[in-house]
Amino acid sequence: MNAILECKSLTKKFSGLTALNNVDLTLERGRIIGLLGPNGSGKTTLIKLINGLLVPSSGELQIDGNKPGAETKKIVSYLPERTYLPDWMRISETIEFFQDFYSDFNPKHAYDMLERLKLDPSKRMKTLSKGTKEKVQLILVMSRKADLYCLDEPIGGVDPAARDYILNTIISNYNENATVIISTHLIADIEKVLDEVVFIKEGNVMLHSSVDDIRSKEGKSIDTLFREVFKC
Amino acid sequence: MLGKLLKHEMKACARLLFPIYLVLIVLTVMERIVLSLDVFNGVLQIIPGFLTFAYIISILAIVVLSFVIIIFRFYKNLITDEGYLMFTLPAKSHQLINSKLIVSLLWTFICIIAIFASLVAVFYTPDRFHVFMNGLKTFVTEFNAEIGDESILFLIEIILLIILSLIRGIIQIYASIALGQLLGGHKIIGSFAAYIGLYTFTQILLIIVLFIGGSISNKSIEDIAILPQMIFPVTLILTIVFNAAFYFLTNYIFQKKLNLE
Repeated sequence: MNAILECKSLTKKFSGLTALNNVDLTLERGRIIGLLGPNGSGKTTLIKLINGLLVPSSGELQIDGNKPGAETKKIVSYLPERTYLPDWMRISETIEFFQDFYSDFNPKHAYDMLERLKLDPSKRMKTLSKGTKEKVQLILVMSRKADLYCLDEPIGGVDPAARDYILNTIISNYNENATVIISTHLIADIEKVLDEVVFIKEGNVMLHSSVDDIRSKEGKSIDTLFREVFKC
Repeated sequence: MLGKLLKHEMKACARLLFPIYLVLIVLTVMERIVLSLDVFNGVLQIIPGFLTFAYIISILAIVVLSFVIIIFRFYKNLITDEGYLMFTLPAKSHQLINSKLIVSLLWTFICIIAIFASLVAVFYTPDRFHVFMNGLKTFVTEFNAEIGDESILFLIEIILLIILSLIRGIIQIYASIALGQLLGGHKIIGSFAAYIGLYTFTQILLIIVLFIGGSISNKSIEDIAILPQMIFPVTLILTIVFNAAFYFLTNYIFQKKLNLE
């Protein structure tokens, strides 16, 4: 079986600025991977490249053996770091929308999670707070049976109590063949769910390792190691 | 995939346009009733006067709103935050453009038909219908006499020109918005600048080609047959070329140069 994500000398430049520099990265299936780095390190650029919102300047990137395109979008479930649902839609209409476009979307799953978080499906998006919108988006994204989930800052805007529920949702909602990439700088909160980490700094991958290896070899938590590697 | 995109696009536009169509229907019925009543004397004449004013405004509003919504939907849905949703659907970028274009054309036709139907509903009487038909017959006779055996060609060319120009009106705006988003922080100003640029460029090109065509054609400019034989075909071909260029430009930018913030 192919690796779910394979990057070879992946480079992305924006007029003069190198956002990703010669990144070689292979991610296997069935892992929860933390994509960790300070602001502006290239995390979002990498995730946008995976989702075909950007095109590499050089090098290549394959998802399950295919370049990003309509085929890979069927198996990648993406949560951007902004609110992207049309604000005039009711929550129930966003569910219909996902159901129409993604054959792996399970509406029952979505309604169950809405109920659990006490969200009223007849509410319009524009009446919701920013944190609530993020919850709705995460529910939609996690109600798909995708092969690769790309979650860009999934817990940034929600309260700590909901954070725990969301993290539980993430780890209990994916099948054993799926990989979840979580980009964040709130490491302490997600450390306990991660299998692997990728440290990224100024467009370069500094470290790609399993969490267990870091703990046993370095004897440190990811949070502590992160603070050392990225010390200002 | 295109079918699903069309369905959701129709729904999103219908939601915005429904109120103004409802207003037009109500005003059409009221205008018909009020115009057929002959009871407004003196100061009461202000009632039909005001109603007719409102009716005309509602027709203008449908035209303006349709136009604004066509632009707004493309901009808002594809290159603002909603673009993150649309461009990560398992669809190809040309399918996104096609769905927007087809729905825009559909609403343009609905707009034209609705206004025409409303005018008929307000003003139809058997007498007026007769006058109109007679006028039309006279026009056709004179038209045939002037253009002769090329009148069918003339008609086909006019219809094609209208449809292709409608498409061009829309796709030129799409291409301008796609170009404008390359500027990142100044998307709207960039789009306006791109539109002015594309408009000026294509008009100059059209004039140059028509000028060259005129100088090699053996028809004099006073001969009306120069319309179906030279000016219309040249304009048609150029419009097709422009449409194709705008379409591929928009698609290329969306595939390779998308610049969502």
